[in-house]
Amino acid sequence: MEKLLIIAIGAIFISNFVFSRFLGICPYIGVSKSLDSAIGMGMAVIFVMTLASTVTWLINTYFLQPTESNLFYILFAEKIDLSYLRTIAFILVIASLVQFVEMVIQKVSPTLYSSLGIYLPLITTNCAILGVAILNFDNIDRPYNFIESIVHGFTAGIGFTLALVLMAGIREKLEMAPVPRPLQGIPIAFIMAGLMAIAFLGFSGLSID
Amino acid sequence: MKEIFKLAGILMLVTAVASSALSIVNNLTKDEIEKQKRKAVKASLAVALPISARNAIHPIKKGDKILYYKGYAPEDTTRLNGYAFLAIGKGYSSKIKTMVGVDTTGKICGIKIISQKETPGLGTKIEKIDFQEQFKNKIAEDLKVVPKQTAEREGGIGSITGATISSKAVTKSIRIAIDTTLALIRAEKDNL
Amino acid sequence: MSLFNEFSKGLYEKNPVFRLALGLCPTLAVSNSIENAIGMGLAATFVLVCSNVIVSMMRKAVPNKIRIPIYIVVIATFVTIVDLVLEATRYELHKSLGLFIPLIVVNCIILGRAEAFAGKNGVVRSFVDGLGMGIGFTLALLVLGFVRELLGDGKLIGISILGEAFKPVLLLILPPGAFLTLGIFLGLFNWIDIKRSK
Repeated sequence: MEKLLIIAIGAIFISNFVFSRFLGICPYIGVSKSLDSAIGMGMAVIFVMTLASTVTWLINTYFLQPTESNLFYILFAEKIDLSYLRTIAFILVIASLVQFVEMVIQKVSPTLYSSLGIYLPLITTNCAILGVAILNFDNIDRPYNFIESIVHGFTAGIGFTLALVLMAGIREKLEMAPVPRPLQGIPIAFIMAGLMAIAFLGFSGLSID
Repeated sequence: MKEIFKLAGILMLVTAVASSALSIVNNLTKDEIEKQKRKAVKASLAVALPISARNAIHPIKKGDKILYYKGYAPEDTTRLNGYAFLAIGKGYSSKIKTMVGVDTTGKICGIKIISQKETPGLGTKIEKIDFQEQFKNKIAEDLKVVPKQTAEREGGIGSITGATISSKAVTKSIRIAIDTTLALIRAEKDNL
Repeated sequence: MSLFNEFSKGLYEKNPVFRLALGLCPTLAVSNSIENAIGMGLAATFVLVCSNVIVSMMRKAVPNKIRIPIYIVVIATFVTIVDLVLEATRYELHKSLGLFIPLIVVNCIILGRAEAFAGKNGVVRSFVDGLGMGIGFTLALLVLGFVRELLGDGKLIGISILGEAFKPVLLLILPPGAFLTLGIFLGLFNWIDIKRSK
């Protein structure tokens, strides 16, 4: 339980996916112009990230990694190392999940679907999703277990949404501010992101254990 | 309906071709990758245990896990002259992994920081030679972090300005690792 | 458009980072040192060129409905090849680039060019387009890496240039520095554009 809390606070504040891990920047810049689409995108990303984190964990643990839980090992008693197929397998899973979520949103909320527009299929190329899937196994002592990977995916999504919503709120106000012409649009967005990243840097010393 | 099967079939075919290509590349690179990993470990062992012969440092395992390494003297490779082991501890913003080498009396021969993601420019200074050199010839009890000037006068490990937490973390992890490993080795000797 | 123009557009006019705002995640992450910047730039260029060529060769045979997943499989294959080869030959660089090597597969530049160009053009043009975009990406990383490593660490390629008396602007090497530097450069390019159109 404690470990789950550590993972959560880590993913949302200490190693925020946007402000300190640099994951999910492209949609971050694209969708953070209005608060509504930011929230909609955030929800979609949280959903996809949680699902993707879980399914990729299952595939990697039971099919790809050369450990005792590998199904090929159990069936054929031979340690086969398929970890080189990880990138392909993970991205295919993510692409399929995004396709699925796209169909669901189209049925459930056509308004949200049209407001997210091109950014919905673009969730596939959101590095945060592939990132969290890989990060589940990237820890120094041991990879996350099943429950931990679900929590990791979910809270990483929350961290991303937090960054997105904060940014959208500021950018909406920024529209009316006298920004010098060269900096208008994307440059000022990055500078704002930089300032917010400084704030989040303050979390990096946060230690809960 | 038939179209879905056809599309899925094409996708599977492409994936199968891709996977075969990757399997070939994997076989070609597998051994070299293992070699690189062993080289990296060997390099860190050489820095941690300079008193032992490079090719006479052997791991002692329990199952798949390496507990520590035994090092043998260059002039007489049957003579055990040191141990090496990993020290892992939580630093300021990352886990710090250090390879530590001690002689048979428990005195440190050298340390090599293997991985850390501390604050660049501050905590990352623990990788600097002059910080790591401080550990040489000290025993576990000497491993206390004090301000730099105090260390020069009275001993102890001088902390890095602006990186007290990283300095303390790595020092503590090394002290604990020495105590734990030496206790383990003593227990094994007693069991013989 | 002549072949040379296909190549050179990726360097400045349609520079993927500074003008098209693509490939931003790795740009921020690996621009903290020149070595990382070159490593990532060349790796991404390799994947971009290879996948552009393969996608172009396949373009008549690929059913439209599943073209994106197929492009993704092609890209992922080359990314894995780069990952394995780097681990076998440049172990330290591989460790330093870490997570961002497999992340090349979701680098919007690569999928973007496959979709917008290679899927509709011949093999030679696609090769050249990929090369131009890839080198443009590498140049962008280099420019940022140069500034961040020099002013943030006082070094270039690990060699101390500005001497002991220089107090590095630590912030530049840290995450906020990445955002700020990129933002300022984007503003700079916009400013150049505005001046030119006058």
